[in-house]
Amino acid sequence: MAQEMIEGINPTRMELLKLKEREKLAVKGYSLLKEKRNALIMEFFNILERVKGSRENVEEKLQEAFEDLTAAQVTMGDLAVNKAAMSVKESIEVDIDSRSIMGVVVPVLDTKATQRTVVDRGYGFAETSVKLDEAAKKFEESIALIIELGEIEKTIILLAGEIESTKRRVNALEHIIIPRIENTVKYIEMRLEEMERENFVRLKMIKKSMEME
Amino acid sequence: MNSIAVIGDVDTVTGFKLGGVKEGYAVESPEEAETTLRNLIKENFSIIIITEKIGDELREVIEGFTKSSALPMIIEIPDKSGPSERAVDPMRDLIKRVIGVEMVK
Repeated sequence: MAQEMIEGINPTRMELLKLKEREKLAVKGYSLLKEKRNALIMEFFNILERVKGSRENVEEKLQEAFEDLTAAQVTMGDLAVNKAAMSVKESIEVDIDSRSIMGVVVPVLDTKATQRTVVDRGYGFAETSVKLDEAAKKFEESIALIIELGEIEKTIILLAGEIESTKRRVNALEHIIIPRIENTVKYIEMRLEEMERENFVRLKMIKKSMEME
Repeated sequence: MNSIAVIGDVDTVTGFKLGGVKEGYAVESPEEAETTLRNLIKENFSIIIITEKIGDELREVIEGFTKSSALPMIIEIPDKSGPSERAVDPMRDLIKRVIGVEMVK
């Protein structure tokens, strides 16, 4: 690798001190960010365990629900199903909270999808078929699953974003900023030593020429 | 706040109404879906359920909203025709990018 350095730095003792301070800070920041990255990735793996299969569950449940819905539509007619659907009461209560994983705010949902009986749903019985009850029940279950899945997926998306940016910062520090500072420090030290030697030689020369006189 | 809405085709909306989600919006075109989605977000709906088909159409709009903040939560679900065989699963793609290797999800 080419010896990259920070541009426009004067090789003085003052700059050297400043740079060493910066290097210390960069190294500290680097180790902190690395820890953060590791913690995030650990958290990410935990979440991945949870997401496994939960999408499949939702898909399966929904599939069944749609089958029942279609059956209900066939037996009762679209219009009657729509009518029944319009009169269903709101069923889901969601408490939305948030928690913070290493500074990433992720949502935590608390669903209160109570299992309702047929009577609670709010449509009449005269024109509805059993399939409609089945469909309604399955949709209720699906919604609870969907909300859970949403929470997990959202967390994954947010965590992934944070991991990516942390990773980028860790890499930038490790591969660019810290080496650059190190190289500059080395350069300044070398220049200072060189100047010292020059000075030493100059003094010797002066001494010699004084002795000659 | 604290409310759920559904955007999808007629059957999906009917189904979710049966399940107890009152805010259902049946849309037919991607443009309609986009305006509805923007309206819902403006109205502070915290959970928005959309079908995968719409999700594919509005990928960029959705990502603009989901990447930045914790809410709203936009969840994509398969519609009546079952889960679509997608070339790229956005979730799997994301995980692959972050971890660097393919994970069995």
